[in-house]
Amino acid sequence: MTQFVLAAVLGALFALGTFLLLRRDVVRVVWGVVIISQAANVYLVTMGGLSGVAPIVPGHGEGVAATAVTDPLVQALVLTAIVISLGTTAFVLVLTYRVYEEHGTIDLLDLGIDRGGAGDVDESAGGAGPLSADGGRADEVGRNEGKSADGRRDGEANADD
Amino acid sequence: MTDAFLASAATLSHAAVLPSVTTLLGILGDPTVLTAAGDGPSLPAPQVAIFPLLIPLATAICTLLVRRSGRAQRAVSVLGAIGYLATVGALYAAVAARGTIVYQLSDWQAPFGITVVADPLATFMLAFAAPLSLAAVVFAVLYVDPFGQQLSYHPLYHFMMVGVTGSFLTGDVFNLFVWFEVMLLSSYVLVAFYSGPEHTRAALSYAVLNLVGSAVMLVAIGGLYSTTGTLNMADMARRLADPGAYGIDPVPVLGLSAVLFAVFALKAGLAPFQFWVPAAYRAAPAPVAAMLAGVVKKVGIYAIIRLYFGVFAAAALPAGLSLPGFSGTSFLSFYGPVLFCMAVASILVGGIGAISQEGLDGLLAHSSIGQIGFVTLPLAVGATVPGVRPLAVAAALVYALNHAIAKVLLFLVSGTIEDVTGTVRFRDLGGIAARAPVLGGSFLLGALALIGIPPLSGFFAKLLVFDTSATAIATGANGASVALAIGLFGAILTIAYFTRAWTRGFWGPPGRAIERWGTSGGRAGEDDPTTGTTTPATDGGTPEAPGTSASSDRDAADEDAVTDGNAAESGSATGGGNVAESGDTDGPTIESVGPSAALVSVVALVAVSLLVVGLGFDPVMDAAMDAAGAALDRESYVRAVLGGRGE
Repeated sequence: MTQFVLAAVLGALFALGTFLLLRRDVVRVVWGVVIISQAANVYLVTMGGLSGVAPIVPGHGEGVAATAVTDPLVQALVLTAIVISLGTTAFVLVLTYRVYEEHGTIDLLDLGIDRGGAGDVDESAGGAGPLSADGGRADEVGRNEGKSADGRRDGEANADD
Repeated sequence: MTDAFLASAATLSHAAVLPSVTTLLGILGDPTVLTAAGDGPSLPAPQVAIFPLLIPLATAICTLLVRRSGRAQRAVSVLGAIGYLATVGALYAAVAARGTIVYQLSDWQAPFGITVVADPLATFMLAFAAPLSLAAVVFAVLYVDPFGQQLSYHPLYHFMMVGVTGSFLTGDVFNLFVWFEVMLLSSYVLVAFYSGPEHTRAALSYAVLNLVGSAVMLVAIGGLYSTTGTLNMADMARRLADPGAYGIDPVPVLGLSAVLFAVFALKAGLAPFQFWVPAAYRAAPAPVAAMLAGVVKKVGIYAIIRLYFGVFAAAALPAGLSLPGFSGTSFLSFYGPVLFCMAVASILVGGIGAISQEGLDGLLAHSSIGQIGFVTLPLAVGATVPGVRPLAVAAALVYALNHAIAKVLLFLVSGTIEDVTGTVRFRDLGGIAARAPVLGGSFLLGALALIGIPPLSGFFAKLLVFDTSATAIATGANGASVALAIGLFGAILTIAYFTRAWTRGFWGPPGRAIERWGTSGGRAGEDDPTTGTTTPATDGGTPEAPGTSASSDRDAADEDAVTDGNAAESGSATGGGNVAESGDTDGPTIESVGPSAALVSVVALVAVSLLVVGLGFDPVMDAAMDAAGAALDRESYVRAVLGGRGE
């Protein structure tokens, strides 16, 4: 019974994660990644087998039959995986905020359009920018573009309201 | 199940290993100890394997500690890269002398503890990663803006190298995942380093894609543990070789290994998973892009060779493959056609994509997709035809080595150009060969190495790739002729896109961005004839002789330019080394722009190394054959790691 429940839960988690991953909203994409990696962790625990008691035994476990406890290795692995996914999740969330700062939007399709726009700006203004003495980096041009896009975006939001 | 219990205790003890590692760092952080570690052979045998991991880790932490002083941080970073090279050299010598070295962390024996395995395959990969890493660090010190360096560049870079080294040295599938994460986590931040709109966007897709890849990898590893009952590669190989005795069903193992394979293909940027490559490489700072293309990608290739040619090759499907289009019972006879399709698609997608690029960085990124296809092509032939397998793996390794050096060189050239002009778009470039002969000559050497012109290492790499197919045909596998044809077509594509890059970027009249390169307009015009005659000669006849003489004497001239013109640091005119002295007299009207001589000398050194590897190819070939032998010799790998224990 437990197997079926877990299999169903795992299937649902992977499906939900994949669904969110394919959304346009960057935050939902990040949610999708988080859910998929948590589903992988649940899967990993499941791979240790579902029989036996928790692998917490008194002393050095002398009196306990080896089959009485579940495989503790996968739980150690999951701990490692959770720590790693904590770091990556934090980074991706910060990156999402940074993407919002640079592009003024977290809509993935708008990001593509925005990049095209920034590229055009690079071409016109970039001629003066990069060549000016210490090679004023094209980023700055792009950043200004991002800011103005930000403003535009706010304007749109107000108009929507 | 007692096995499992012990194993868990071992994994928990990893946590205990970390503090002991950090105490070691205190000692290792001292530069004097770093150099002492370089006297490799004096180190005790098993410990020498762990030093290439500890040195970059110590360096990364030290660069964090001294971040208040930019100069100290840069010094620590460069010293760390030198120490890394020294320890890798020591490890290489030790492995060459004594064979595979196995280090059991905290003395937990192999199937249960964490194992570091340095065999000829791992040391071959490390041996080209370490010198390129040093070149990239020195380049970065000169290239990345000081604020960025102080903020995060050096720690991140060295953490990435920790991950790369760990991936090469680990003997455990789960630890492979952990080292991949160490490597990727740093590379996410490095891709987002400039934090502009296109950089954040590239980093976002790079990070999300690799996070999904990591989750898939975890699923595959969990499944492999559940089916084979072990995570240690050697133990897994031993169990898979005798599935009946361990109650393993090979069919799910094949499926799970295929899931894992997709992850490695993603890391290596093989064709259906190549789409993240161009944006990420264009966004990353040039030295990072160089390392991502040159070394980090090779980690995926290494994992494929290690796991699929070493571990999973032990398994066989008793009933044969029931899939259409596949025959044979070995796992490798499944991966042969898969690798072949990916290699062909990579060569075509990369090559054709590179031809249509408007900028040098995009061209190089696409080129690296195509070149990884060339690395995979002999592997595909070798997987299908067992007779040529050692030659095939050696060919892939030599090609990986050649691509690593050449691509690092080309990305550094691209970075140098961008440093001066702020752009690498072809329409703004042109005439670089006349203005900066050393830089142009270096680019030419790198391009010729990837095309495969005789005295350079690329010739032997391509020759071995073709030789693998030809030998396979000779042994009766006529399908390999398709591989040969694809290889030839890919070579033609390579010639096409590098010719385009050369003619548009380096020949012809100076482009908009190059016009002010060098000193003033009149001076540059007078400079043209002299250099203009050397460069066609380099292209036309025997490429190596003029190329080297030009690069060596330009190099000397560049150093002069540094010594007498160091006041004008970035503006030191190296456009024509010989006119630099006289150029100082009438500079002021137009601000002179030119590549920093130091950057150019790093590039020139990497370029010369291509030639050196090509001219002294015999030892490289021997090392590659050794590495291929180690990758395929499952029994001695298992014996070295498990040492008859484990039951």
